[in-house]
Amino acid sequence: MSNYGTTRHPPPKDPKNTDYHTTLFRRLSWEGTVPLEIRVDPNELPANSDRGLECYFMQAPRVSYLPLLMPEIRRFLMDVVFDELAAKGLKEEEWWFECDDGTLLKWHWPIGLIYDSHSILATIRPGSSVSGTMATPLRLILHLASPPTDKLLLSPSAEACKQAFMGQLKEADFIRWGNTKRMTGLRKVDQDGLWEGIKEHNFDDYWRVASKVTPTTAPGNRPQSPGPPPSSVSMHGRPPSADAGPPERDGAYNVRSVPVRIYLPDGPVIQDLVPPILEDGTPHTLAHFLSTHVPLLFPVRPPAPPPSRSNPHPQAPTVPEYAYPLIQGVLTPPEAEMAWLGACLAGADGWLNICVGISKKA
Amino acid sequence: MAETTESTARPLPSWAVPDSSDINPEALSALETYKKRDPSKVVVRFKAVGNAPIMKQNFYKITASNRFQAVIQFLRKELGWKAGDPLFTYINLAFSPAPDDTVSNLFKSFCTDGHLIVNYSTTAAWG
Repeated sequence: MSNYGTTRHPPPKDPKNTDYHTTLFRRLSWEGTVPLEIRVDPNELPANSDRGLECYFMQAPRVSYLPLLMPEIRRFLMDVVFDELAAKGLKEEEWWFECDDGTLLKWHWPIGLIYDSHSILATIRPGSSVSGTMATPLRLILHLASPPTDKLLLSPSAEACKQAFMGQLKEADFIRWGNTKRMTGLRKVDQDGLWEGIKEHNFDDYWRVASKVTPTTAPGNRPQSPGPPPSSVSMHGRPPSADAGPPERDGAYNVRSVPVRIYLPDGPVIQDLVPPILEDGTPHTLAHFLSTHVPLLFPVRPPAPPPSRSNPHPQAPTVPEYAYPLIQGVLTPPEAEMAWLGACLAGADGWLNICVGISKKA
Repeated sequence: MAETTESTARPLPSWAVPDSSDINPEALSALETYKKRDPSKVVVRFKAVGNAPIMKQNFYKITASNRFQAVIQFLRKELGWKAGDPLFTYINLAFSPAPDDTVSNLFKSFCTDGHLIVNYSTTAAWG
């Protein structure tokens, strides 16, 4: 990307000319990969397989999906592990994945989400020795027969996954604008282009179309709001702000609601309407969002006491830190704004996935 | 207890085990609270699209913690659909939700006049 500079870009004239912070974070999300270890269930290996090699390691894009990895995995197994004759009886439509903790892997979840939610689960399992560093591969078991279809919910085909993906994009569109006109307004070739972009892991192909349906964060469409305290200025949580210009039709801060889901470890998925701006006119921050929707894990921090002579700069009392938010595998600062996160760190399906991890006692 | 073997045994996640070491018990009990299923019900309104047969009754109270998959199965049963008969379901004539979305989440985001409107069709409509 030629437009990654070290200094701020001039405000773009064309609102579709995405500013460089936005492109940077979209690119970082897109290029993120996770390590996978894929092992065929030893009880299901066909006769005469090469048992020393039944494990395959790969680095998979976070924005991709398991059905899209199948051709590569299959090629490895066919070339190296399976006996040619015995493999003839295998039906690929019966293959399915399980995590080594016994949970089924859904075909329609983005791989990054699968990785983050399982890594978190591993850190809080009794007896776990996982330290919370997430560099270890996620260990998957590949089964070659008897898929539990009722629990997997979808057939393993790339086509079924594509339909589910398009459904998620439309749902995200509806959440943002109250209709799906932006998605349905795309030509067929463009809709297909979104999926092709993921399949080929091509950032430019995907974003050429996705920029037509994803909100913009161009300077000028962010509302005027009380600035952050000087100490907490963070490039992670904040778009390059500029003077508030005229409201921009596709702006991230003008959506009805940001498409967000919270994933609790082994628990429910929480989804609700998430207005980009709160009633008091301030941007909806991640801290506010979490303490509203999962207050037991993210307790509200009470306000600081009024300043006094003995304590002219009072600090707000601290609250226990039970949990932390991971977005695209990254620990996200609480002052990050939901609208910006939704426009820059959402997955390829348009959804901002927040995985909640549980902190260790200090 | 603390085993980190290489086996393929499948330990079930068990938050109840008290020796789960250095995790704050309050955090674990918070997780338990959020895991409790919401017993409340919401009104789902089924609307046929195109050639799909109309249902005699089209308002149902459905438990909010159910997944959308359960709604699809319920609808298939009510229509007398056999396995393999095509049925496409949509929310607000706009999109197909993921089958593991919960009724509760869909209701919170998309309810209209106190109902969650589920359209059904025998052909793909808003694919």
